[in-house]
Amino acid sequence: METEPWEDELTRALKSQFGDQISEFSIYREQKFLVAHPDAVVPILEHLKLEAGFDYLVDVTAVDYPKKEERFEVVYILYSFERRQRIRIKTRIRDGQELQSAVSVYPGANWLEREVYDMFGIRFSGRPDLRRILLPDEWEGHPLRKDSSILKMDQKWVQENLGIDSGQ
Amino acid sequence: MKSLLRKIFLVDLIEGLWVTFRSQHPKNIVTEQYPAERPRIAERYRGAPRLNVHPETKETLCIACNLCALACPEHLIVVTSERNEQTRRKELTTFTYDISRCMFCGLCEDACPTDALELSQDFELAAFTREGAIWDRQMLEEGPVPTRYRY
Amino acid sequence: MPEATFLDANELVLNMGPQHPSTHGVLRVVLKLDGEKILGAECVIGYLHRGVEKIGENRTYQMFAPYVDRMDYVAAVSNALGYCLAVEKLLGVEAPPRAQAVRVILTELNRIASHLLWLGTHALDIGAITPLFYVMREREDILNIYEKYCGARLTTHAFRIGGLQYEVYEGMERDVKAFCKKFLPRVDEYEELLTENRIWKDRLINVGILNAEDCKAYGVTGPLLRAAGVKWDIRKAHPYSGYEKYDFEIPTRENGDTYDRYIVRIQEMRQSVRIIEQAVEGIPEGPIMAKVGKVIKPPVGEAYVSIEAPKGELGYFIVSDGSTQPYRLRVRPPSFVNLQALDKMSRGSLVADIVAIIGTIDIVLGEVDR
Repeated sequence: METEPWEDELTRALKSQFGDQISEFSIYREQKFLVAHPDAVVPILEHLKLEAGFDYLVDVTAVDYPKKEERFEVVYILYSFERRQRIRIKTRIRDGQELQSAVSVYPGANWLEREVYDMFGIRFSGRPDLRRILLPDEWEGHPLRKDSSILKMDQKWVQENLGIDSGQ
Repeated sequence: MKSLLRKIFLVDLIEGLWVTFRSQHPKNIVTEQYPAERPRIAERYRGAPRLNVHPETKETLCIACNLCALACPEHLIVVTSERNEQTRRKELTTFTYDISRCMFCGLCEDACPTDALELSQDFELAAFTREGAIWDRQMLEEGPVPTRYRY
Repeated sequence: MPEATFLDANELVLNMGPQHPSTHGVLRVVLKLDGEKILGAECVIGYLHRGVEKIGENRTYQMFAPYVDRMDYVAAVSNALGYCLAVEKLLGVEAPPRAQAVRVILTELNRIASHLLWLGTHALDIGAITPLFYVMREREDILNIYEKYCGARLTTHAFRIGGLQYEVYEGMERDVKAFCKKFLPRVDEYEELLTENRIWKDRLINVGILNAEDCKAYGVTGPLLRAAGVKWDIRKAHPYSGYEKYDFEIPTRENGDTYDRYIVRIQEMRQSVRIIEQAVEGIPEGPIMAKVGKVIKPPVGEAYVSIEAPKGELGYFIVSDGSTQPYRLRVRPPSFVNLQALDKMSRGSLVADIVAIIGTIDIVLGEVDR
């Protein structure tokens, strides 16, 4: 990815506040993003919401890179109605590592985090009610991980609950 | 005062009812009497697949290039061919198309270089069995024959 | 202590759906009630989950385009526009002006069709049956235009990455103009039926209030946000596909209740007609497809592109690894995020109001569950 460096008053403020917790400020295709340490994500979100006016959490999602040691990249997309600006905050975590939940900062993160848990198996700490949202509660496996094939499904669950051999 | 009078004389409800009664005139009927009356289908309509043949020689236009099968998101087209030893050309042997999985996106007809495969204007595709929805070459060339109802 | 009798007022848990007709699909809502009062509403979703994001990772960029139509199936064209714009952003190309104008016309027609269906079903839920028949009649005109243009009515697959597949059909401008001319008086008719209707007002005013603060906190967008007084529309804030060329207004209201959302959507239909009339006047000549090649291989990178779909902000986050298939494709569905606010909106209201509140969010379960 050929990125350009991102530098303006917002990045200077973040740098002075968080120092080396943020490893990268970049622009790709006119879209700004920063890469942060997993522990610093929620403080950064809080800072951006209260100090910089990023009052709308657009999306929380994840990307799976099974070959890397820090397997998951969790992406937060923020928007500021005041600045008319959209930024992305990325953080990289290992498989099984817990991430602090953003629900205390943005209540709207609730379902989005549940979906990330459902699809990737990333656990968020410090929030209630971390259950599956789209798949049934007893389902095994996390379908959007790269090692889960498109044809794979929880045969046991399907047989027990639907009484058929195949979902096709 | 004015709004009270409107309430007492049910002005708002009567205005709404007037809209309903105004639309009762027979010239405002838009319902189609299918199947007694056949709907008009647009020229570009993407319906049942058809494998076109040459209008005079009745030979298939398909050159068995397999591009439609590669373009299909559902991988439901299977094309087999044989190389003719005399003309050194590939000739179509079988062509199957599973319309039960088709979503009529039109990517196969876009991919076809000879206009052999086309999504036609036929829209009556119901079949009694799942196997009946898998169309072979003959069915694709002839097209479906829907039941005509008489009244 | 006397034994408990049936007169004891206990909390009641009531299951609504997934087959309840007013939940607009397969939504299940578990309501906690104190008599008629709602103490909490929990949504159980996923009955229509098809794994669209996973399918996207296993299809090439062109092959995936028909699948996005099946998320929000009453606004298939908007979905396709967002997807095409996102891939075009990754590729670094832009559709030619002619294609952009046609895209705007079709997308705005789609916004009208989506709002019409919402209006009909929402009114039906409240008890007004008549509007449903009228909105279906007008929607039919829009679907006929789609059928003539691209050959499909609902899941249209109208756009391709880089532009359009189909050239404007002969007489399309005439059809669209005729529709616009006919449609505005019809909107007045709907308003005659509903806007001042006492039953309609009594059922909607001060029901399901969501103020601007809560909208932002929950990430709620679209007509819900505008009804709460926030003048924000992606078509104005971050114009795409040539929206900056058209003159239109963003309708807003103050209270953020169900009635305001109805007014906002009615006004939006009028504004859409305004945009269509401007766009159809001057469709520029020229090619309809940018140079993208037969095989679409975006460079390694990622992009988030969002559009103003009829229901709110519809975003696509695509990560490319340089191959012909997306490495990760995330859809940010407006219905899913907006539905999350149902609990907040319905607390303290009556059971009968939950039907109005579900209707007013304008959800399509195909998009909520994907």
